Amino acid sequence: MIHALDLDTLERPKDEAHRWFDFDALKAAARMAPAAAPDPAAWFLPVDGPRLVFVDGVFDPAASDPRTVFVGENKRVDSAVPVGIPTEGEGWALFLGPDHAGDPVQVVHLSTGRRNHVPARIGLVDDAVASVIETYAGPGGWTHRMTEIGLGRSARLMHSIRIVQDGGFVSLNHHAAVGQGASLVTVVLGAGDAGCRIEAQVTLAGPGAYAELSGALLARDTTGKEAALVLHHAEPGGTSRQVWRSVAADRATASVAARVEVARDAQKTDAEQSLKGLLLARTATINAKPELEIFADDVKCAHGATVGELDRNALFYLAQRGIPPVEAKALVTRAFVADAIGRIGDAAVRDAFMADADAWLGDGV
Amino acid sequence: MLTIENLHAEIDGKPILKGLSLTLNAGEIHAIMGPNGAGKSTLGYTLSGRPGYAVTGGSVAFMGEDLLDKEPHERAAAGLFLGFQYPVEIPGVSNLQFLRTALNAQRRLRGQAELSGGEFLKVARAQADALGLDMEMLKRPVNVGFSGGEKKRNEMVQMGIIDPKLAILDETDSGLDIDALRTVGHGINTIMRKPDKAVLLITHYQRLLDYVKPDFVHVLAGGRIVRSGGPELALELEREGYAQVAA
Repeated sequence: MIHALDLDTLERPKDEAHRWFDFDALKAAARMAPAAAPDPAAWFLPVDGPRLVFVDGVFDPAASDPRTVFVGENKRVDSAVPVGIPTEGEGWALFLGPDHAGDPVQVVHLSTGRRNHVPARIGLVDDAVASVIETYAGPGGWTHRMTEIGLGRSARLMHSIRIVQDGGFVSLNHHAAVGQGASLVTVVLGAGDAGCRIEAQVTLAGPGAYAELSGALLARDTTGKEAALVLHHAEPGGTSRQVWRSVAADRATASVAARVEVARDAQKTDAEQSLKGLLLARTATINAKPELEIFADDVKCAHGATVGELDRNALFYLAQRGIPPVEAKALVTRAFVADAIGRIGDAAVRDAFMADADAWLGDGV
Repeated sequence: MLTIENLHAEIDGKPILKGLSLTLNAGEIHAIMGPNGAGKSTLGYTLSGRPGYAVTGGSVAFMGEDLLDKEPHERAAAGLFLGFQYPVEIPGVSNLQFLRTALNAQRRLRGQAELSGGEFLKVARAQADALGLDMEMLKRPVNVGFSGGEKKRNEMVQMGIIDPKLAILDETDSGLDIDALRTVGHGINTIMRKPDKAVLLITHYQRLLDYVKPDFVHVLAGGRIVRSGGPELALELEREGYAQVAA
């Protein structure tokens, strides 16, 4: 269990995938003293469906309404995980049978200090449709989550994740297999002031699968936020999209390493990758590392990576129309972030996430 | 309304305006004409407070207050509008969102109540209709994918919505075909030809002045006003050229 890990002997992974990993921040987060948990109700969107609350990794039945979602001991999740963390323990699982369309599942994770870990599994059988909305909030601590996702033929999952934890560190580890004609769309908002590492390995395991991994990382002060992503096209006719927008202010660092792998058999793959960074201060750092590894010969893989500053002409244009500098910067930055958050299909979820981004921007950038 | 006295301004240490003086009263339309590099656009940018345009001497009073003392957004709220020669594209920000934010920021600064979404849409629709700009265009990102003419028309729609006291229009006629020129000219007259407003039209050519009749015409050369006169001066410039008239 994560709780049993010895922080003093825990070693920083030395592989390339952890190049920008802020390991010290993670360790410091795990040593934060627990504090009072905020009210989880504030983090639920007004949509009907199962609701789960975990406080410091412990299920809170009084604040939850799991309905069809399983909560209990999750046995082995068969994946490699970072820094040697076993993935068993109390967690949650969503399984939907054929043709089943579930109400949106909302999971609120509150972390107050120390470290906590919750394993999760999402399994959608053929043609099932689900939406999962996860919120990470609370004052601090090291929050770690391991999520295994399996989508059967033509199943569809919209997975929206917002990290708005005030301090500490959030590390997410996703392993997903997307079956024939199935669709997985994952959109992450990294706001709040916790450091974060989003690690995802998604395999397009059936012909004609669709996978999207997108997100926005908003980093300020000395926070480090990063995403380390691998999209593996194993079968023909798959489509993948990655739209990442990183914003870094002050002395913060935002990093995205996104790899697309196309196996020899994955002909007719259509992959697009757009990594863009916006520096709000010259002292901030943005890293963008697009990678393509292609073994098939009949594929379309587009990628682009840019890093820039706010357009001064645009800021003056806004000012001349009467918009004060702070508001003008927020407006232009918001538009930049909306590229990624706009990938969320459900308007209510999208608006809530944009409101979180607005709150972050409104605090002064 | 606007009193410019002996204004000196420079960009990157290079003097552009060298002792420019000009007075605009409410109800007047002034045209400033002049050759390339005379400082016409610099005048517009200096008055609106664009970063990089440094005032090194002189004074500007607007509505009885020191204009140069204010930040660009405060100048806008005080009633100064600059129509850009090259309107800026802002991806991801819709025209409506931009204008509502702008109008309400101005109203806040002036101590007026902000407009609700519905109230604002009514104003926006009326102005878009008046200038023949499809309302759908206002839902799109600011100037992104707009033709040159649409951008200029959009500037006029913005002017109509913001309803300023003083409009400085920097080559608003450039890039316009004859029909668009007529529409824009009509827009300027409708929005700004009022007893409590004034316009400073910056232009190369006489043609916009066929639609918007100026009360005064000035020739700007070498960073100063070298000649002033009535509408007939514009015709003389068109006939004789700047070199002749400014000499």
